[in-house]
Amino acid sequence: MKKDILSGGIVLAVAGAYYLGARQILHSRLEDEVGADGLPLILAALLAALGVLLILRTLFASRQQAGTGTREYQAPYPRALGFLAIAVGYALIAPVVGYLVGIGLLIAAVAMYEGNIGPSWRLAVIALGGAIGFWLLFIKLLGVEQPTNMFF
Amino acid sequence: MEQLAAAFTMLVTTPIAFFALAGLIWGFVGGALPGISASITMALILPFTFTMDPVNAIVLLSSVYIGAEYGGSIPAILIRTPGTNSAAATVIDGYEMKRQGRAGEALGISLWSGVIGSLFGLTMLVMLTEPLARVALLFTPMAYFALGILGLSIITSLSGGSLLKGLIAAVLGVMVATVGTDPISGVSRFVFGLPDLLSGIKPILIMIGLFAVSELMRQSGIKGPEGDTTESVRVKLPSWLTMRKIGKAQGIGCVVGTFEGLMPGGGGSIAAFLSYNEAKRWSRYRSEFGRGSVEGIAAPEASNNTVASTALIPLLSFGIPGSNSTAVLLGGLLIHGLLPGPRLFEQNADVILGLYTGSFFSIVMQLLVGIIILPICIWLVNRPRPYLAGFILALVLSGIYTVNGSIVDVWIVLSTGLVGYLMVRNNFPFLPAILGVVMGPIVESNYRRSLLLSAGDHSIFVTDSIALGLLITSALFIGFSLVREIRDARAARQEAQAGIA
Repeated sequence: MKKDILSGGIVLAVAGAYYLGARQILHSRLEDEVGADGLPLILAALLAALGVLLILRTLFASRQQAGTGTREYQAPYPRALGFLAIAVGYALIAPVVGYLVGIGLLIAAVAMYEGNIGPSWRLAVIALGGAIGFWLLFIKLLGVEQPTNMFF
Repeated sequence: MEQLAAAFTMLVTTPIAFFALAGLIWGFVGGALPGISASITMALILPFTFTMDPVNAIVLLSSVYIGAEYGGSIPAILIRTPGTNSAAATVIDGYEMKRQGRAGEALGISLWSGVIGSLFGLTMLVMLTEPLARVALLFTPMAYFALGILGLSIITSLSGGSLLKGLIAAVLGVMVATVGTDPISGVSRFVFGLPDLLSGIKPILIMIGLFAVSELMRQSGIKGPEGDTTESVRVKLPSWLTMRKIGKAQGIGCVVGTFEGLMPGGGGSIAAFLSYNEAKRWSRYRSEFGRGSVEGIAAPEASNNTVASTALIPLLSFGIPGSNSTAVLLGGLLIHGLLPGPRLFEQNADVILGLYTGSFFSIVMQLLVGIIILPICIWLVNRPRPYLAGFILALVLSGIYTVNGSIVDVWIVLSTGLVGYLMVRNNFPFLPAILGVVMGPIVESNYRRSLLLSAGDHSIFVTDSIALGLLITSALFIGFSLVREIRDARAARQEAQAGIA
């Protein structure tokens, strides 16, 4: 119940921020009657209304209905955010160290985090092999862009 | 009969069978890589066709298209990452079946339904190009607006038990779709000074963030298999009983896919979601949808593979490319001096015959190639979980970088992943958000174009007969779904009260 009230509050905050953003949209001489900000303003109002409805529904809902639905494994917030932090680390370092090194470090870091394992030869070989495999696939075979530095 | 003999002669005397097979395999690989769409897969091979015989070149490109449209469902089922936009609907039940240890069965159904859809679409292309091409021309901006509303109307049945949360997710999706350059006035919206956002946020980025990254976050710390698992790596083609069970869903997918393919901008993703919803509505096993339903895979897969063939109808008849993929194919035709239109069928009958023959060969070979390639994919996703998670994240981040060659896309996907994780934790459904991202631009731009045509008069949506028909259908969809939701909620309440008593 508390979760839904909090969700409703976040939805209201998003609606407010989006509304402020929509008010910043410039007007053009080519504009039609609806305007570039027409839909965004409607969406902001709609989202705010839905957020209020969610809060009200939760407040008036009977306690009997709470907790229904299937429960399955959900990683706790710190664990899940730790995983995301590794991905964020890749986004930060890949443009600096290049794709080959960045992707190898990413594979190794995720494997260590997920398996609670320390550095080992096996891990190094798998990470290096994976990095070379991805490099060959994306850069050499497909010839598509990946983050690069001056070396890779 | 004469045409069939000519097609067979072409197949055995020219190298089109080789190019069809090569294109199919390339398409499988490209489609299976997240972020590499069918059009990118085709564009990557386009330069190689410059020096080819026109028939071989067109067969190669169309086979890549067929392969990529199917290939997108492989990661959708195995790692909850749609390889292409049109595979997003397959994630729902495909990944659920994989979690139940039925990956081989799910892949077998998607493969079989893909073949059925492709064959149906090809039959439509060969037999009904002329009358169907006329239907494509009837679509006005008003009709496209109504089509978008029809697409959005299925949110009511995809909200997973909470219509209110589904609507919130849908509005958030449409909000994401407003980022970028305004389609009518050219004014930029919500770009925050970032040039990368001027062209908007691609739906595939949102899909990968919501489905793949959030799932990896949710599963973080799960102890998986440490070596080979007991799960069979065999692809299990549907039994006679299953074929009968999925027949209706495939039929729905084929019909929806035929009409969506005709409409420029319609595309496989809209077709897949609409057919998923219709299959659910008409199914005797409705409660299985979302919990590993075989029909939930059959309908979208038949549908998006039908689109791959019927999308060629407006392209070949009028030179109208309805999607990025058909635009690349148009490029392939023009490179070889082939101008689409009625005269193409008269002056370059050999190219058309080659296209039909090569496509048919690719579709048949799709089964064989699938049976060879898919067990390898199942084996790969059964590796020890810590390494598998690393490889999936590496694949996802590498794939999305290829969409625009920009690190901004990586940030968008990671942010969406965080939002997706919060949505899962708070029981918000993903699918309405994805529909909002896909349908938002169609609805907004066509609504405003229609009003420009009518000088602001809204009655134009009622006077256009196709738009009116689609809007009435949307209203009926919403009405029926609301009635069902209220009835289900009441039944659940009564059950709960009976349990307490």
